[in-house]
Amino acid sequence: MKQFRWILSAAISAYACHLAVQHATPIDRALPLLGAAVTLCAAVSYPAVMLGVVLLIVGEIAIAHEVVRLMCFGAVCAGAVASCVWRVARAFAADQPGSGNTQRGTRNAAVVAAAVALVLLRWIPLAEVLVVRELVLLGIAALIVVVLGRTPFAVAVAVVTCFLTPAIPLRTLAVPLLVLGVCITARIFGMGEWKWTWASGVTLAFLLLFFAWSGVVARSLPFVLRKAGLEPPRTAVGAALTASQSETFEVPEQARSLIVSGANVARFGRGVPLGRIEPGAIAIRLGDAADWGAMRREQVYGSRNPWPRDMAGRVRGYGYNAWLDGAGRVALPAGARTITVTADASLPADASLQVEGFE
Amino acid sequence: MIAAAAAVAASIAAPLLVLRRRTLWAYYGADAATWLFAYILWRRLPVIDPRLGCIALGAVKLATLSLFVANGREVRWSATRAAALAGIVYALAIPLLGVYPPGGDEPWFLMKAESLLTDRDLDLRDEYRAWGWQRYEDDPVGPNGEQYSRHERFLSLLILPGFALFGVKGALATIALFGVLLVRSTIRWMEDEGIPDAHARAVFPFFAFGPPLLWYATRVWPEVPAAFFFVEALRGVRAERPRRWIPALVALVLLKLRFGLVAVGLLFRRPQLLAAGAALLLVYFAATANRWQELIPARPAAYLTGLLGLLVDQMGGLAFQAPFYLFGLFALFRWKSAPRGFRAGIIAASLYVLMLLPRPQAFNSWAPPLHYIAFLMPVLALGAAAMWDRLSRGAIAVAALWTVGVAVHGLTWPYRLFHIATGEYAIGEWLSATYRSDFSRLLPSFSRPNTAGWIGAVVVLFLITVGLRRWKHDLTIPLFALALAAGFAHGKKPGARIEFEDTHVVHDGGRLYPEEFELNRFVYRGGWILEAGHSASFLAQRGTYALHFITGLGAVVELEGRAYQVEPHLEYQTVRVVVPHDGRVTLRCLSGAINADFMERE
Repeated sequence: MKQFRWILSAAISAYACHLAVQHATPIDRALPLLGAAVTLCAAVSYPAVMLGVVLLIVGEIAIAHEVVRLMCFGAVCAGAVASCVWRVARAFAADQPGSGNTQRGTRNAAVVAAAVALVLLRWIPLAEVLVVRELVLLGIAALIVVVLGRTPFAVAVAVVTCFLTPAIPLRTLAVPLLVLGVCITARIFGMGEWKWTWASGVTLAFLLLFFAWSGVVARSLPFVLRKAGLEPPRTAVGAALTASQSETFEVPEQARSLIVSGANVARFGRGVPLGRIEPGAIAIRLGDAADWGAMRREQVYGSRNPWPRDMAGRVRGYGYNAWLDGAGRVALPAGARTITVTADASLPADASLQVEGFE
Repeated sequence: MIAAAAAVAASIAAPLLVLRRRTLWAYYGADAATWLFAYILWRRLPVIDPRLGCIALGAVKLATLSLFVANGREVRWSATRAAALAGIVYALAIPLLGVYPPGGDEPWFLMKAESLLTDRDLDLRDEYRAWGWQRYEDDPVGPNGEQYSRHERFLSLLILPGFALFGVKGALATIALFGVLLVRSTIRWMEDEGIPDAHARAVFPFFAFGPPLLWYATRVWPEVPAAFFFVEALRGVRAERPRRWIPALVALVLLKLRFGLVAVGLLFRRPQLLAAGAALLLVYFAATANRWQELIPARPAAYLTGLLGLLVDQMGGLAFQAPFYLFGLFALFRWKSAPRGFRAGIIAASLYVLMLLPRPQAFNSWAPPLHYIAFLMPVLALGAAAMWDRLSRGAIAVAALWTVGVAVHGLTWPYRLFHIATGEYAIGEWLSATYRSDFSRLLPSFSRPNTAGWIGAVVVLFLITVGLRRWKHDLTIPLFALALAAGFAHGKKPGARIEFEDTHVVHDGGRLYPEEFELNRFVYRGGWILEAGHSASFLAQRGTYALHFITGLGAVVELEGRAYQVEPHLEYQTVRVVVPHDGRVTLRCLSGAINADFMERE
């Protein structure tokens, strides 16, 4: 009967979220999934966590600004999973002999928390999920949690491992399996049940706060950690210069920097020249900018590009497919009305320097 | 900057007052995590209004602390500690609410204090000139042209020392001090009534930090001192300590004459005292600006409207503005098991509430919500505390979330605490403006009665009779979420009735009727005046409608290609108009002028 209540609650929550959907992003469209996930967290932690469903609906209705709305959803999901971690810690304390705690909780919440976190972090957009692979991954995550003693720390290890694992099929499973092996070995050799409640809870909450762009967190963490300013107006140029090709551009009023990126240069490392700006002979190198698509899910692990020093890339896509393009800012020569950008002669035939615009 | 530093210091110091050992450290852990995530959000979301962000963060911290106080195992709890915590919160809230200048009756209390201080009299002529306010036309006038105010003078006397020392800030601090005393007295009262500490701790944040007490403890109104004196009187009567209840009751009546009805209710078992009190009350009544007619029963419908308005009206009803107190009404339906003090308080207030109900401003005066019944909140809080174990956990959670939302909203935009009784309120107006659809029709109103009002009344009556009780399988939260989402989905569709002055109507010219700050605006039929060339567009369903209007000039109006000529008349008239399709339509005035009231589908 208790399970029926929660199943009914999840169904009602999902339907309510479905009715509330207003916006077109994959995260908004996945609102019923978020509602069900929050309900599941409530079922294994504290029933009041169900308020997260109300907050999801209010956020969808009330917040028009996309980034604010999606981070609001992230905060709700982070709170729901963190409550599971808290519940696990309480249950852990209750399970200790002689604890005197009469509120014995279930540590199975740890497995649920890991599963919910991974579904939110990896399964959106839903249309692009490889279900079998992801289910196997969830299974491995559950095993890691169980092997490490169903503690908050175990949840954090399982989630971080499966979250950061590469996309290439073999390595997708190989890294988590490797971690599982290490965990089993460590336990055999006497590793205790580490709790680390606060650190684990904060780590999980941080990941889930940004679940709407989990791909960016997984592959471009520095972008998430830096301070976001109000986006300056950008004058688009959209020129691609092949080796030795030059082009002259008029500098718009009040422009301070040139936005550039590379095309097909993902295999090169820091310092490789991409081109230069005249007047001033300002060199553009990998490190000032990166390959435009180097941080895509499919390409990031084969790329040797460093992150641009002054990232000007924009977040593309949502969920685990989100990525940051490799554009970077290069300061313009002071007072120049026109500039000439020349692609470096050493660029391979299929590569180019992309002048995206002025800011 | 100083305020921010004070807020940070308070957030560190406040837990020391009420928590200890492991619970204290656990709270500090949660607090540190809150700071960390607030910092991350601040870095990533530059578009968020800093005022809203800071207040929301403060509310989250206070809610977290309240959770620890309610559920923690190692809590330092006493009435004095609770009062000290309330004092910290009120001290932080005063500057937040202070950005909105004194409104409603507040200027008169302050002007009287200033007049007493500077002129040693109550003649407000100087103050009207200095403060820029105008007297009410029917306010008392002295033989030499003195201009007195109808407002009772006792509150001005109470705030006088604070006002003399620090001006308006001193007056606010005095009221906040009464708020602190009220919290202490209420918690002590709960102890007297045998309420378990755990229940008092759970109820405390709703009562002390939620509306309406938060609004009235931080502005210059008599409601919080009145609530304090009321609780003291109730405690004094219960303990049979005349030296406590007599001065408290006298102070209560002096604060507002109408509270004499409360005194009558409190003393009804003491016939001699009741007779003496009633005689004094009558003398006092005769000597002030109140009218005898106020004591004569009004038509029954007015009582019903007043009662339901106080319960469910979106602008001034308990369900919307302070849902926690519905738990107190829940206790009303469990009379025999309610504490003695609760019953005494309800009986004492019943005559006052009865006389209040037919008054048009019972639930929609120009004041923060729940103006006239704010003094009753300690009694309802006691009832809620007594019923705590029997209440739905889901309903408590929803009430908590709602309370936090209302508090954050009011602290962020204090001017929204004052709202003209148009039948709309902030949520409905905002949704209507955002989605250009009529959301206000879905929110209960009794200042302009609508269907949602009657549905809301049934729902609230169901809730306070049985719906709020603790269920084995509690589906309150998902059902609330479903109602919210379904209401939103329905709100985007056109309604069957269009009020032309409402926010969802896109006006191209014309003006509001009556004017926004018309005195006693709620007694008029509202509308939008369209003159030649003006138009109003809105969402409507296909069909035939009755357009209700008044015109002194006559007019030709056009609706989606069809013209209608209307003749001048002294009374409101109706004309049948056709909306040929679903969706947005436009009503234009081609000639003359028309005051369009509303349009209803037949």
